[in-house]
Amino acid sequence: MEAERELRGPARVVLAVGVSIALAAGVLALFSQDFGSALAQFFLEPFSNRYFLGNYLADTVPLMIAGLGVLIAFRSKNFNLGGEGQLYAGALAAGVLALRLPAGTDPFALWCWTALVGTLTGAAIGALSGLLKAFRGVSEMISSFLISATVINISDFLITGPFQDPASNFQTTRQIAPQFLLPRILAPSKLDISIGLALALILVFMVVAKRTRIGFELKICGENEEFARYCGIPVATYQIAAMAVSGGLYGLAGALLVIGPQGRVIRGFSSGLGWSAISVALLAQGSEAGVVPAALFIAFLGTGSDHVMIGSGIPSEIISILQAVAMFFITARSLPRLRRRRP
Amino acid sequence: MSDITTVLVDILKYTIVAATPLLFASIGGLFSELSGMLNIALEGLMGIGAFFGMAAAGLSHNVFIGVLAAIASAVTASLLMGVVILQFKANLFIAGLAINLLAGGITTVLSQWWYHTKAVVAFSLPAPLPAFPAALAQIPFIGPVLLSHSVLTVSAWLWTLGAALIINNTRHGIRIRATGIHAQAVSALGYSPDRARMAALVWSGIGSGLGGFALGLSISAFVPNIVSGRGWIALVAIYLGRKKPLWIAASCLLFAFAESLSNYIQGFSSIPPLIVLALPYAVTLVSLIVAGNKK
Repeated sequence: MEAERELRGPARVVLAVGVSIALAAGVLALFSQDFGSALAQFFLEPFSNRYFLGNYLADTVPLMIAGLGVLIAFRSKNFNLGGEGQLYAGALAAGVLALRLPAGTDPFALWCWTALVGTLTGAAIGALSGLLKAFRGVSEMISSFLISATVINISDFLITGPFQDPASNFQTTRQIAPQFLLPRILAPSKLDISIGLALALILVFMVVAKRTRIGFELKICGENEEFARYCGIPVATYQIAAMAVSGGLYGLAGALLVIGPQGRVIRGFSSGLGWSAISVALLAQGSEAGVVPAALFIAFLGTGSDHVMIGSGIPSEIISILQAVAMFFITARSLPRLRRRRP
Repeated sequence: MSDITTVLVDILKYTIVAATPLLFASIGGLFSELSGMLNIALEGLMGIGAFFGMAAAGLSHNVFIGVLAAIASAVTASLLMGVVILQFKANLFIAGLAINLLAGGITTVLSQWWYHTKAVVAFSLPAPLPAFPAALAQIPFIGPVLLSHSVLTVSAWLWTLGAALIINNTRHGIRIRATGIHAQAVSALGYSPDRARMAALVWSGIGSGLGGFALGLSISAFVPNIVSGRGWIALVAIYLGRKKPLWIAASCLLFAFAESLSNYIQGFSSIPPLIVLALPYAVTLVSLIVAGNKK
């Protein structure tokens, strides 16, 4: 096409990252008293000491896990917009289980069980949208969003009703016993061993995608549904499974937050994470390995925003604007020519 | 009137009020749906319309200026979306999602900046203009349910009728529909499918902006997350109504009835409000499943 310039993957990522950082800097310039120190705070403070670095890395864990799930759904051409509810419900299911298990339970067994229950909760919610798409032709975007909205309301009720901590003024469940929480690394920061699980999962998904029949067939389903059908690939099964995996990883991300940094389920604690995971998957450009830098970047925007923006009176919701701008650029496939074509 | 009638009148009257934002938004969304674009940004566009509409109305103490600002802001956002999709060849759904995120971010940040709160911003506005003479509201049952509404509520129905006329009987409407059915054919006839899509997005913007503003006006305030899923419910109404304006209006009434009922139950029963709040989503979800058809 001569009317426009095609934008390739790497160019889009560079544009998205560059523009969102420039925008963040622009907002800082507008609102901070001392631009230089605000800039340093935004870009350097997360790396300035053990505590900040640990907290920053901890923020990447749910983004990597949930982002990986969104990526799998994308690969099968499914757009899971129910992450907010899947993560929240997974967190609540894991939290309730952790509170119910007897105090003498082996911590490792508890981690496994809660992670499993969180994953299954999210997977069931995600699979429901996949089933509705396969059997009723319902758009998975709309159904996953609406199911998520319903699930969030019900979870809110459960947290503030039956599972409310009677001793707390906050809307929260009781605290999970300290011996049941994941061991910290880089104390006193909130980083725990779940970061290892996140990286391992990414590795596993990479191998499955590259080296197994399942990974290959899923890719075909997403790239050309009709061709996949002719090849005898059970397309509907793959699509339902992809939504289930996506929901399951959201649920797992929620569960790990509860038995890790959070230690209990506070009403609305995960709000926004579901959307951030979509940004991560988009930035990763379809590559599992890309999830790591993408999560590092989105978490960086979040941490940076938290550090400086609050000090300058700007609410941390500025992160939504930065993410939206990054999304616009990551999805742009071409740049329209503003001037006449050069020879 | 007996107690049960009073309750019924209350629920039905509020059904009409609650249907207003849904009608505006879903009929607006219908245009882009017909042009071949599932517009998941209705939610965000409504939020933008609600915030800027209420802010302008509050500043000028004039509801009409609020209407203009709501339309202008939501149309600006949908033009931005149109440019990103049509000029930059962006993915429709990702661009829509970005608009939703942007709307949530911008309204909250500006609310903090202008009103120093992320919670409720209340506005004292002139009383809404009644659409009918006060005497009509005295008619038993029909009066309070149907004839006590404001000009804005009545305009939602005029908007629906007008849209039906435009879609079915004008060149503009036919081009938008044709673009959705076969863009290449439209192009071969010498018309621009992109222009039809852009126009459809503008209609979406106008409808969602008005819908958001109606929402703000109904509580005389702006709260972040004021839209709380109504953009998605409006989207489902398009499907449930099989893309026909009058059936969409009927679907909106159904969802508005669920909302009205859930409001009523919250006030007068022991069922926890948070569960009741899920009722409109659940009703919408069920109707989506019913409306869905196997490919």
